[in-house]
Amino acid sequence: MGVEFYKPQKLEDVLDVLATKKGPLKILAGGTDLMLDIRNKKYEVAGIVDINLLSELKNISVEGEFIKIGSLVTFTQLANSTLLQERVPFLVEAANSVGAPQIRNQGTIGGNIANASPAADSVVPLIALDAICSVLSPLGNRDIPLNQLLCGVGKTRLASDELIVEVKFKLPRKITRSAFVKFGRRNALAIARMSVAILLGLDGNKVNAARVALGAVAPNPFRSLELENMFLNKAMEEIDVDEVIARSSMVVSQALGNRPSAKWKNEAIKGLMRQVLSKIGIM
Amino acid sequence: MIGTKSFEAIVNGEQVKLNIPQNLRLIDVLRNYLGLTGTKEGCGEGECGACTVLVDGEPYNSCLLFALQVQNKNILTIEGLASYNNLHPLQESFLEHGAVQCGYCTPGMLLVAKALLDKNPNPTREEIKVAISGNLCRCTGYSKIVDAISAVAEKGVKR
Repeated sequence: MGVEFYKPQKLEDVLDVLATKKGPLKILAGGTDLMLDIRNKKYEVAGIVDINLLSELKNISVEGEFIKIGSLVTFTQLANSTLLQERVPFLVEAANSVGAPQIRNQGTIGGNIANASPAADSVVPLIALDAICSVLSPLGNRDIPLNQLLCGVGKTRLASDELIVEVKFKLPRKITRSAFVKFGRRNALAIARMSVAILLGLDGNKVNAARVALGAVAPNPFRSLELENMFLNKAMEEIDVDEVIARSSMVVSQALGNRPSAKWKNEAIKGLMRQVLSKIGIM
Repeated sequence: MIGTKSFEAIVNGEQVKLNIPQNLRLIDVLRNYLGLTGTKEGCGEGECGACTVLVDGEPYNSCLLFALQVQNKNILTIEGLASYNNLHPLQESFLEHGAVQCGYCTPGMLLVAKALLDKNPNPTREEIKVAISGNLCRCTGYSKIVDAISAVAEKGVKR
């Protein structure tokens, strides 16, 4: 029958709705995916819980050594944040690569996570940053590492009465380089067929921290320690670019197994890796 | 009526108040309840931008918004851009430059252009291309649209 639309004004009201109203309930952040899922009858919905009145979830801040991003922060906000532009430019690049201006105005970082798409653009740099999600439920607050929260295509470990309120990650040291590249069918509006996020911490010319995350090659974006090790403790000019590119193709092959897309993705990753390395100034 | 909720917003400068089904999209309220059929539905999936409207000055796809999501917001559709007797400078420029062919993308194109120029009165061609990147046009090849927007920016017409 009809769908009930809830518009709670405070966090505790959201929790109350989630705990007491007739389900299945869906939380509405931006709604770019939710609208289509409901219309395509991907799942049954008895109620929509619109959390957009919670302005406390719309901030980006620094607290101690963490950058904290409210779950309702839109891709436009991420892209325009001078803090993020300075400290984690690859997250800004990923936000800018999402959909089109209209989608970036509407879509949120919390929604991108909760939807658990293998191709979620902002999730790839967040995985590289070892981001942690703060989740609220009537039982209280808990922190879950993003890589544990995601558990398959479209699947999370969130309970039905839980809400992502914030994503946080340790502020990278000032001297880092990062880049995000994505391969889609066209520039605007394309869903990523594959993406790479890379972040290198530098001590002088030496790489003392390395993060490499891949998107759309597994059920969820993941870090490849194997690739990261090829950068660690090396001077920038010592990094064997050809070896990194060859290895990235193997990593993709392993992740995809005998899926049909393995055949082209393990080739395409080479070009993507070349692009990302050139962006951070290695080649 | 059972199952409906009150929807209030400012649409093209006028306060509206309606009872609507709770899962109704903004585009359906605009077209079917308010008769504002200038907002077009293209793909219905947020891919084409034909249904673009401005919500508090920013472009959104009205096919992806629940109407109740924009409760109490300020909504501008193509009907509110100018009056029937006095076209908006962007509309004049679209006509002058041949930036309108079939016209289906035009309302959305004009509104993203307005949102851009309101924030950035002197955009580069590249910035114009980014601003219209969420709007598909299958007729013009885009160049004339970029020319039309660019010409208004150069004139510095007060909008």
